[in-house]
Amino acid sequence: MIPFTKHLKFIVAVVCGLSLCAHGAQAPQHININQLSTTVEDVVVPLPNEIFGALNKLGAVNWKEHVRSDKGPNFTERPRIALLLGAVIADGFIAVQAEDAPTVKEIGQRVMALAKGIGVGNSITPHAKAIIEAADKRNWENVRQELDRTQNSVQQAMNEVHDEKLSQLVSLGGWLRGTEVLTSVVKQHFSADGAELLHQPDLLSYFQTRLKAMPEFNLPIIHQIQDALVEVKPLIDVGSSRIPAESVKKVNEITTRLGAGIVTRD
Amino acid sequence: MNRFAKGLLRSGILLAVIVLQRAACASVDDAQSFALQAAEPYVKQGFQVREDYWGGDLASGEKKAVRQQLFKGNEYWFWLGTEVDRAKVSVHIYDSDGKLAEEPDSWEKGHFAAAHVVPKTTGSYFIIVSVEESPEERTHWALVYGFR
Repeated sequence: MIPFTKHLKFIVAVVCGLSLCAHGAQAPQHININQLSTTVEDVVVPLPNEIFGALNKLGAVNWKEHVRSDKGPNFTERPRIALLLGAVIADGFIAVQAEDAPTVKEIGQRVMALAKGIGVGNSITPHAKAIIEAADKRNWENVRQELDRTQNSVQQAMNEVHDEKLSQLVSLGGWLRGTEVLTSVVKQHFSADGAELLHQPDLLSYFQTRLKAMPEFNLPIIHQIQDALVEVKPLIDVGSSRIPAESVKKVNEITTRLGAGIVTRD
Repeated sequence: MNRFAKGLLRSGILLAVIVLQRAACASVDDAQSFALQAAEPYVKQGFQVREDYWGGDLASGEKKAVRQQLFKGNEYWFWLGTEVDRAKVSVHIYDSDGKLAEEPDSWEKGHFAAAHVVPKTTGSYFIIVSVEESPEERTHWALVYGFR
């Protein structure tokens, strides 16, 4: 008969073994980033609510004052519609933060109209309906999820018809609107942690590279964005230094100007 | 050949066709559904899982790096999955200096793996995905992430 202690040792060994299997081999504590030659090119652009979530943790934000629901003009140029669509989806996330159901519903309708204008209305209709339904029920978590699905479906539909560039403009429109609101909030109640949320140099470089590859979109707003990103880069690419209040103010001025350009006819 | 043997042969061929068809049809989308499966329990903990994801295929022992912007104040999980159930995958997160940035509760379980990070600074992070072992020549992978 095997004594109990032997059983116990066996059980402990098995449990430790299983635990090691579950955790896998130890990852190296340090790697040489410069040797990463297999980096995936495409980044997943953060949603505005990812940044807003981090902002909320720094203190109460009066989201209502950032809600924007004006319908804006109807553009015919697809790049302009794509930029506006991204900005309107970002407005949806702001309205969710403000728990403003009527605005969320208006934005749902607006998203549907813009998606139709760009030729991807069919893939958006169920999400736009779900946004409106969830807003009626004030189910903010579902609205957030459907806004993310909307953006993803728009971009997938565009990618399927090889309109990747328009898909990137949707992301850019959303990022610009998100940055406009982020800087507006941080400008009002400056904190080093709030300003640090602007530290996104690689994302900015990603957009710069993408815009450079769009010479066919010869529109004033595209050129304005390209020039503005050049201005913004040194303000947020500060390495381990802090981003000062002055830089936040400057980025806010630039993104507010671009935001107005995106929603206004030339 | 007797009737039983013929039946057995026919069933064998049918099974082989189904297996081959399944292998041919397997895609990054299948891998994504496994990555989302790994994410499921975390949704109940308040994590918002992004619809967008990264994916591709890798040979055994091959690695891929993904660069992602993370924000201080948020908490992130990255979930990696593959439809090849005998494969072993891993995912690890490094900061922009190449220092391991993940929390100790990150895990690997066969064809699922997950890495947890609470960023100390806002900026770019590197997520390294790897197919450690696989019976397939190329193994589809998909990486999704969530935050709260």
